[in-house]
Amino acid sequence: MEALRQTQKKYSSRAITTAIFAGFFLILIGQPAMGKGLILGTVFGIVNFVLMGETLPLRLGKSKRKTYLFSFGSIFFRYIIVAVPLVMAIKLEQYNLFSTMLGIFLIQFFILAEHVFSLISSARGKQV
Amino acid sequence: MAYDIQTWVSVAALSGGGMAMGFGAIGAAIGEGYTAASANEAISRNPELSGDIFKTMLVGQAIAESASIFALVIAMMLLFTEFAAHILMVPVLLGAGLAMGMGAIGAGVGAGYPAGACCLGMARQPAMGGRLTTNMLIGSAVCQTPAIFALVVAFILLFTDFSQSPVSPTWAAILGAGISAGFGAIGSGLGGGLVAQASCEGVARQPLTATPVTNVMLLGQAVTQTTAIYALLVSFILMFKTFPATDLIAPPMALLAAGICMGIGAIGPAIGEGIAGQSAVAGIARNQEHVADLTRLMLVGQAVAESTGIYSLVIALILIFVV
Repeated sequence: MEALRQTQKKYSSRAITTAIFAGFFLILIGQPAMGKGLILGTVFGIVNFVLMGETLPLRLGKSKRKTYLFSFGSIFFRYIIVAVPLVMAIKLEQYNLFSTMLGIFLIQFFILAEHVFSLISSARGKQV
Repeated sequence: MAYDIQTWVSVAALSGGGMAMGFGAIGAAIGEGYTAASANEAISRNPELSGDIFKTMLVGQAIAESASIFALVIAMMLLFTEFAAHILMVPVLLGAGLAMGMGAIGAGVGAGYPAGACCLGMARQPAMGGRLTTNMLIGSAVCQTPAIFALVVAFILLFTDFSQSPVSPTWAAILGAGISAGFGAIGSGLGGGLVAQASCEGVARQPLTATPVTNVMLLGQAVTQTTAIYALLVSFILMFKTFPATDLIAPPMALLAAGICMGIGAIGPAIGEGIAGQSAVAGIARNQEHVADLTRLMLVGQAVAESTGIYSLVIALILIFVV
């Protein structure tokens, strides 16, 4: 499971570092709600991603019924967690809803960006 | 028993939120289940690679889940925002929920196909792990495009002020826009997923064909997205065109029918195009020397499959502009 942990660590650290820098920048330029929303969304996005990885081994190698129950429970629990920052952003003016949403998807963004970048680099390498 | 407008708005918000999350969860759950099943099979074939397969499964599922998180966002907004007490908010809230809920189904299932094929491919060709993951992620990302269209339509519905528009036929235009964007996204998500699945299988079967397989995958997937774009176009016309007030029943029904026509009409062509693309990509992986022939045949097949989507678009436009 070391490969799994390394993957989680890599994308989570990239996402939180970006969120903190971008969040502080937004606060400094007078957009505190956007900055706080971005950091809040990213933190909960990371919690969701980590929990998704931690529950993966529980879903495999079990009977069909147990796998179904674990999968359902995992999705249900993780969606409740992702709903928390969204409800906070809707209800509290300190957090901007759109930057919170952006934060929730920051890990997915980094996963895609890394692979698109590597595809473009390899295509350029072949042309040269 | 009579209810005031605020009660109807609340009922619509709760129903819309329920539809957004209820329908929106279907696709992601099936896609994630398919990925897990394929990962199981992959580990049983090549247990030494369980760590890499777990990693691929995690990354694939994280992308497949995006569409249902879009649905969660809309559901939360519908459930926890206080909306104005205007009768047109009822179709707005129902339309937004329906658009996002239905719009997430195809993307969730579709993104599961390449993720599952990537896990199996990794067990077969461990050395191609990086390229397989790249193809899986790009293929899955394209599958999310129609769900993003549905999200955009849901946001436009929620943040546009329709209070100055006449109640009839605007209510039908709003509901039609939601139906068109939501149903229209199903086929494109599924079709795109079929093409991306074939690409991962192809790279695993014949690693030397990775470049043409990826290029044709992107081309094939781009064609599968066109019907979702037609559905988005019809949604935009229904949302932004100004319709004159009417007391007749025919004009609102024509607008509602336009949304239904384009939404449902977009499902079949996109899946058909996905099947054509899947076959072409699989063929290229087997026989790289005939890329041009296979690509041409794929595009001709997809163009024919597209025609029924174009018929739906034409009828939807006639319903909006002529009837």
